[in-house]
Amino acid sequence: MNCEVCQLKELEVEHFEIREVLRCILHTIVFHRALGLVRPKVIDLELFDITYVQCGDGELEKKIDEKIEQFISWVEKHPNKKSQVCISFYEVKNKHPSWFTNKTERLYWEQWYINLNVSQQQKVHSGKSHPSKIVVDPGGNSLEERSARRAALETSLREVLFQIIKFVNEKKDHVPPISDGVVYFPYEVTIPRWILSLIHEI
Amino acid sequence: MDSISPFLFSSFWDSGEPSFPREGSFDYPVVEIMASSHGNSTHSESAKTEQIITEFFAKSLHIILESRSPFVSSRNFSGEQALSSPSSSSSSSSSVRPRDKWFNLALGECPSALENLDLWRQSNFEPMVVDVILVKRGLSRNQSLKENSNPYGSDHEELLCGREEKVIERWIVQYDTRRPRETGSTSRRSSSNVLHTLYKKSILLLRSLYATARLLPAYKIFRDLNCSGKLRPFTLTHRLSSFAEPFTRKEEAEMQRFSFTPVETSSGRLCLSVLYHSSVSDASSESSTPMSPQFIPDYVGSPLADPLKRFTSLPVSSPSSLPFSRRHSWSYDRYRASPPAAFSPSPTHSEPPAANALQFGPVNLPPQYPDSSSIHKTNYGYDEYYPSPNFTPSPSPSPPVYMHGNHLSNAALLRTESAPVCIPKLKLNLQPSLPMNDNIRPLRGSKVDTSTGLPHTGVSVEKLIVKDDPKKHSGTKISTISSLQFSFSRSSSRSFHDDFDDSDFPCHFDVEDDDPTCHGSRPESFDQKAHLGDQLDPQGGGIFPIRKSQDAAVGALVRMLKKAPPLRQELSSSNIDSTHVSSTQAEQPPDTSSSILVASKTTADALEELQGYKRMKDYLLSQGGGKCNVAGICK
Repeated sequence: MNCEVCQLKELEVEHFEIREVLRCILHTIVFHRALGLVRPKVIDLELFDITYVQCGDGELEKKIDEKIEQFISWVEKHPNKKSQVCISFYEVKNKHPSWFTNKTERLYWEQWYINLNVSQQQKVHSGKSHPSKIVVDPGGNSLEERSARRAALETSLREVLFQIIKFVNEKKDHVPPISDGVVYFPYEVTIPRWILSLIHEI
Repeated sequence: MDSISPFLFSSFWDSGEPSFPREGSFDYPVVEIMASSHGNSTHSESAKTEQIITEFFAKSLHIILESRSPFVSSRNFSGEQALSSPSSSSSSSSSVRPRDKWFNLALGECPSALENLDLWRQSNFEPMVVDVILVKRGLSRNQSLKENSNPYGSDHEELLCGREEKVIERWIVQYDTRRPRETGSTSRRSSSNVLHTLYKKSILLLRSLYATARLLPAYKIFRDLNCSGKLRPFTLTHRLSSFAEPFTRKEEAEMQRFSFTPVETSSGRLCLSVLYHSSVSDASSESSTPMSPQFIPDYVGSPLADPLKRFTSLPVSSPSSLPFSRRHSWSYDRYRASPPAAFSPSPTHSEPPAANALQFGPVNLPPQYPDSSSIHKTNYGYDEYYPSPNFTPSPSPSPPVYMHGNHLSNAALLRTESAPVCIPKLKLNLQPSLPMNDNIRPLRGSKVDTSTGLPHTGVSVEKLIVKDDPKKHSGTKISTISSLQFSFSRSSSRSFHDDFDDSDFPCHFDVEDDDPTCHGSRPESFDQKAHLGDQLDPQGGGIFPIRKSQDAAVGALVRMLKKAPPLRQELSSSNIDSTHVSSTQAEQPPDTSSSILVASKTTADALEELQGYKRMKDYLLSQGGGKCNVAGICK
């Protein structure tokens, strides 16, 4: 089975926008890949006029929020760099456990790369803020620039969501069969750090 | 069934339950399918394919209606959903009705329209066309408040009874059997595999439908209607049919298409696509008729005045209320709703998405007015200063802090510095094209014909001003803006009259009723032109106190005008004015506003005035731009 890769359009985000943007994108991707029984939950973003769909699963939300926090702390350590969040779906292939090993193999069948360019003009104290609280800086930038940038980001975010939808539509054959009782395909969220250096050199 | 690893799909059919309680009528219950599965496998495969297709239609309709038909959706979007954990199938399956489990998308209660679907649908081979219609309730006497749910009703706009309908979305679900797949490939694959693949792909398709339905512009209208408790002058309805009544070419040109990738089956393709208005604001406002008598009261009424007042009196540090006040006034204006109270700026913080759901697409103020074309043309008098109607390229009402509109307003305002000089041109262009308006409070007790056209531009201009961030102002801009405001809004603000009841000059400018600083400033301001000139003079690069800025200056202008000799009698008045101007000019360079005399009573007077302005302009230009920041751009 081939591994389909989708590189999402790069988004220029400010620090305080990361959480919402990533939540929106990650949940949209997972919603399209949670082919077991779900009860969708619709969420309106606060910073943008965009509505996205979650799987309505509290556990999933927690997991994704954890990953986002990891990413944010990573970004704080590596400021002003282009960064990626990668969510990969895999199948677990159990090798026949021999007497000395019981490794399982992961066969990745899909990878999504979320490309973010985090601009950190101001240092925002993110910490473990309440998910609904958006920390906003009194800007050193002019309000005009910020508004324009915000509007552009909203448009781009919408494009990214449509990009996801189109990809999901066009590439269906590689999706493994649905297992009974399983809602989510196994997935992992990673921050491919080493890619950063490559991107920077280009 | 073949013994293959238990797919969710197969378990659906082979479950131990004797039968699924199904709503609606089907030609065959599930039990029969199962019974016949032992027979010819091809038959069973095609039967099951049929069933999947049928359920697909039902599910897609459910998804569409749930996100487009207000008040029929019983989905509760609150935190309740977070509590249910669908990962534990036992708990979820007990709470999810079997039919709801189709395609693994539990949507809850069916909309009422869905119940009719089973009765209505004859076969899977007819397309299912769902039209989402935006119904605008007019303000005329014959307005009907009933939703039109006639499934075969007319699509035409019903202007006469004050009710307009516009199809803003058309969803087409069809099972296209014109191009059957070659059977050779299917025979190689087991039927359950085929069915499973079909089911899986339909699940994916429906997931993307669900997400897409909430990304299209019409969703915002739905959300606004459903979540906001406010009364809206419009509503959404839908129409289900088997044929797609073709759009006019014009209508189709405004629409965009989004097609989902079809799902191939053994006997055809399952296709889903949507035609939608990319900017629903255009769709809903475009069909509006010139209801000018009703325009003006709305415009003159408080919602437009209030934001203005509020805006100028707001401290700089809390700009958050500004976008809401702006947007409310716009959306209010757009739909010409009469109650201004519904759009008072202050309580809108709490529900930004609902309140501003109308701000989709480019926000167009002038286009909704019948003479928008003339307005556009006139705006080109200072064209590059006025970025056409697109103040807000993208609607983002939710951010409480940032006003992207500000960007444009600032940009626009930055360019309007020469406004006073350009005003005459604007007025001239407006005059011939616009009807008289009896509702406009005349200056000095008589009608002001020239002002009839102004409300329209005044709307946009005022809004231009309203959006302005006072923090950004220099005194220069303020002075010009005040003059701008002066000319355009004079005919349009009923509320401005309050402070001048005692005078015979109904001043339209005193917006600062609730602004103490402005109250204070008015007495100080300037009964004489010289003082006015001082106030407006951008000395020191704009040391103008922000709060007093526009309104105080305008009030000062008005006072000055009161003192000014009437234009009525003499043709030579304009000459006097210009000479007056030149004398004043000697003392105070940017004293252009002092020479603006507005008290014209007839068109002819106004024209003379206009000529006076032109002369002034020429004079100023000849004087050189250095002294006159106001006319800076006219250099």
